Amino acid sequence: MLGFTLFYSGLIVLIPLAATFAKASALSPLQFWHAVTAPRVLASFRLSFGAAFLAALVNLVFGLLVAWVLARYRFWCKRIMDALVDLPFALPTAVAGITLATLYADNGWIGRWLAPLGVKVAYTQLGVFVALMFIGLPFVVRTVQPVLEDLDVEIEEAAATLGASRWQTFWRVIFPTARPALLTGFALAFARGVGEYGSVIFISSNLPGKTEIVPLLIVIKLEQFDYAGATALAVVMLVVSFALLLLINLLQWRSSRHYARI
Amino acid sequence: MSVEVRNITKKFGRYPALHGVSLKVASGELVALLGPSGSGKTTLLRIIAGLEFPDTAEGRVLYFGEDVTDMPAYKRRAGFAFQHYALFRHLDVFENIAFGLRVRSRWSRPREAEIRERVGKLLQLIQLESLAKRFPSQLSGGQRQRVALARALATEPRVLLLDEPFGALDAKVRKELRHWLRQLHEEIHITTLFVTHDQEEALEVADRVAILREGHIEQIGTPEEIYDHPATPFVYDFLGNVNLFAGHAREGAVIIGGTKFPAPGMAGGSETPAAAFVRPHDIHVTREPGGAATFAARVKHSHAAGALAHLELERLDNGEPFTVQLSKEQFRQLRPRPGERVYVELRNVRVFPEGDPT
Amino acid sequence: MEAVVTAKTARRRSPTAEPPLVRWLLITGALLFLSLFLVVPLLAVFAQAFAKGPGYYFKTLADPLTVSAIKLTFITAGIAVPMNCVFGLAAAWAITKFDFPGKNVLTTLIDLPFSVSPVISGMVYVLVFGAQGWFGPWLIEHDIRIIFAVPGLVLATTFVTFPFVARELIPLMQAQGCVDEEAARVLGAGGWQTFWRVTLPNIKWGLLYGVILCNARAMGEFGAVSVVSGHIGGQTNTIPLHVQFLYDSYNQAGAFAVASVLTFLALVTIALKAWIERKETRLKL
Repeated sequence: MLGFTLFYSGLIVLIPLAATFAKASALSPLQFWHAVTAPRVLASFRLSFGAAFLAALVNLVFGLLVAWVLARYRFWCKRIMDALVDLPFALPTAVAGITLATLYADNGWIGRWLAPLGVKVAYTQLGVFVALMFIGLPFVVRTVQPVLEDLDVEIEEAAATLGASRWQTFWRVIFPTARPALLTGFALAFARGVGEYGSVIFISSNLPGKTEIVPLLIVIKLEQFDYAGATALAVVMLVVSFALLLLINLLQWRSSRHYARI
Repeated sequence: MSVEVRNITKKFGRYPALHGVSLKVASGELVALLGPSGSGKTTLLRIIAGLEFPDTAEGRVLYFGEDVTDMPAYKRRAGFAFQHYALFRHLDVFENIAFGLRVRSRWSRPREAEIRERVGKLLQLIQLESLAKRFPSQLSGGQRQRVALARALATEPRVLLLDEPFGALDAKVRKELRHWLRQLHEEIHITTLFVTHDQEEALEVADRVAILREGHIEQIGTPEEIYDHPATPFVYDFLGNVNLFAGHAREGAVIIGGTKFPAPGMAGGSETPAAAFVRPHDIHVTREPGGAATFAARVKHSHAAGALAHLELERLDNGEPFTVQLSKEQFRQLRPRPGERVYVELRNVRVFPEGDPT
Repeated sequence: MEAVVTAKTARRRSPTAEPPLVRWLLITGALLFLSLFLVVPLLAVFAQAFAKGPGYYFKTLADPLTVSAIKLTFITAGIAVPMNCVFGLAAAWAITKFDFPGKNVLTTLIDLPFSVSPVISGMVYVLVFGAQGWFGPWLIEHDIRIIFAVPGLVLATTFVTFPFVARELIPLMQAQGCVDEEAARVLGAGGWQTFWRVTLPNIKWGLLYGVILCNARAMGEFGAVSVVSGHIGGQTNTIPLHVQFLYDSYNQAGAFAVASVLTFLALVTIALKAWIERKETRLKL
C-alpha cells in the first residue's frame, strides 16, 4: 500500500517537477537572472503578484462580511447563498473567464453601468483584479466561516458581563479569534490568484508589459520554444508557491496549538 | 448591594423554566441556588445577570432597589463565572483578568499602572502570580476557574454570580475551591449567588440555600434550617439520604411496626396512612428491646469500610428495607451479623401525609 | 405605567445579538456583494447561451467538434479520476493509520499540485515528454505521442486533480482515528476485510465528495491541458478548450452554450456538496 502510494506520487508529481528544476539549472545564474528580470517579465510579475495581493486583501473584508452573515444570521435565501459561495471554486476557469469578460465589457450587463463613469474593467488591469477577486472569494469565506460558527456563545456572554459593548466584543474577542483563519484564507486566495490562468486571460487584454500575467508569459515562451525562459519563470513561481504553502501550514499549526480545545 | 427578583416567569418554547419566582438576597450574603437539573436555577441566575430576560412584564430584577430588568448585561456590573470558564483563549491570564478594566469607556478607564496594580492584587488573591503570562490552554481546570473568578472580580462588580463553578472539576479540586470560595467571601463580602446541584457544596458554603424544583422555590433557609426542618418530602430527600417507613399517623404520633413514635406536626383526630421520613443516622439499633419504643428488624447486610458503618435492615412485620448509619464505635459494640434480629428505635421522625408528592 | 413597561420590554436585546439595524445592514451588504459577484455571472452564462435562441443552442451542442470535445473530456476524466481515487484512498490510509519517516514529506507532496499554477502543471509534462524534453527523442523514435495527444491530457489532468480525494479523506480519517479498525482487527478481520467493511463505510460521504470535486476539476481544467494540448479541434480539445476556441472565433453564443454544460455540472457539484454536508451533520447529531 505504502509502496504503491510512493511510486504513484513519484511518477505523477516528483519526476515532472524535477524536470523543471533540472531544465532551469541548465541555465547559468546570469542567464537565469536575465530571464527573470527582463522588463516584460518584471511587468508581468508586478501584475500577477500585485493584483493577486489586492484581490486577496479586498476579499478579506468582503469574505469576512459574507462569512459572518452566513454563520450568524438567518434569512430567506441563506442556504442558496451559502452553497453559491463555492461557485468560483467549482466553476471551470475558462467559463469564469469568458463570463467575466462578457459581463464587464463596455456593453456587458455590468460594464455598461461603469462605462459612463469612465471606469473600464474589461481589458484592463482592473479586469484582472476583478477576476482574481471572483476566484479567491471562496477561500476566505470557507476558512473563516467554520471558526465563526464554532465560536462558543459563552465567550461572548462573558465579555458582555465584563462590560464590553457589542462592538467591543467583536473587536477584542471575536475578531482576534478569527484572525488566524483570515490570514490562512488570505494566503490561500493569494496563492491561487498568483497562478490563475483561465479566468484572467479572457478579461485581460494581454498586452505585453501592461496586462500580461506570468502564467500567460510562460505559455508564450513555451510556444516559442524558449524553454529556458519558461522554466526560469516557473521556478520563481514554484519557489513562491512553496513558501506560501509553508506559511499556511505554519499558521495552521500555530493556531491549533494556541487554541487547543479547552 | 442587595439583589431581589420578583415574580420571574420564563419559558423556553413550550418548556417552562421558571414560574413566578421571587427571592431576596441581602447585601453581602452568599446564597446557593440548589436543585436538580431542569429546576430552573441556571435560568434564574442568567436572568439576574442580564443574559436572559423574564417573559412577563411583572418579572423584575432589582439591584439595591434599582430596577435593572431592562438594562443590558454589559451595563449591570454583575460578575459572572461560567461552568466551563469561558476564558478568552487568545489572551494570557493577565489580559483575561484585565479585560473588564480595558473595555471601560474612556473616562472611567483606569490608567495602565493602575490596571497592572489591580490585576496584580487579584493574581495574589488567587495565588497564581507566577502564571500571569500563561495562556488558558496551559492551565489546569482548577487554575482556569480561579482565573475566571479573578476576571469577574476585577471590575469590582455589585453582585457575583457563579454558574456551577466547580461542576467541571475533580472531587478533590472541587473541595479545595469550595473552601477557597468561602474564605474569599469572608474577605470580600460581595453579594454572591451560586448555582449548584451538589447539596453537600451548598450546605457547606452558603449562608442561605434556596432549593428549586421545576421552576419553583421549594424552601429557603440556612443550611441547618433546611436540613433539620425540611418543608417538603422533596427537600428532605434531596438533601441527603432518607428512609421511608409506611405507617399510620394519629394524634401527633405515627405507628410503625406496631410501635408508636412521636411525630410533631401531625396533630389530627382521625387515623391517616402516612410516610415517616428518618435519616439513617437518626436510627438507634439495639440487641434487646429496650425501654424506649422499638420495633423488630432483621439484619440483611453490613459494611464498615470507610469512616462510618452502614447496616441494611428489613422490617420484620412487612419486609420494608431501610439503612442505618453507625459510627465505627457503635458498630463494634453491636457487632451485627446477617440474619440476626435487632431492635430499632427511630429518632427525629418527620411525617408527611401519604400522597404528598416526592 | 403599563405602557412604559411594554415599551422598555421591546428594547431588550440578547447580549450576543447586534442591534437590528446593524444586522439588516450587514445582511443587505453581503447579499448585494454576493448577487453582484456570484448570481449575476451565473445568470449571464445561461442568458448568453440562449442569446441566439434554443435552436442555435442545441445545434452547437450537437456539432461534431463539440461532441468530440465532450467525448475527450469524459475519457480524460474517466481515467484520471479513478486513478486519483485509488491513490487518495491508499495515501489517506497510509498516512492516518501508520507512522513512518517522511510522513510530512508525503503530505506536503500531496498538497503540491494544489498550490502550483495550472500552467506550470502542464508545463512540467512538456519538459519531460515534449520534443525537447527528457524523454523527447526516445518517444519520437518509438513514435509515441504524449504531448499534443490524449495521453498528455490525461497526465496533466491527473497531476492537477491529484490531491482532491486524498485531501478530503485525510482529515476525515484522522478525526475518526484507528479505533474502529483496531476493534475489527481484534475480532479477527484481515487487512482487506477491515478496509472494506469498516473503513470504507465510515468515509463513504467524504470519499464521494472528494470524487465529485475531483471530477469537476478534471472536466473543467483549462490551464494545464491548454499547455499540453495541441489545440487540434476534434482531436485534442477538451470541453474547456473548445469553449475557448468558440469564444476566440467570435462565436459567443456557441461558447456560452458549451460553457453552460460545464456550469450545470458545477451547480450539480455544489448541490451535492450541500446535500452531503447536511447528511453528515445529521449523522453527527
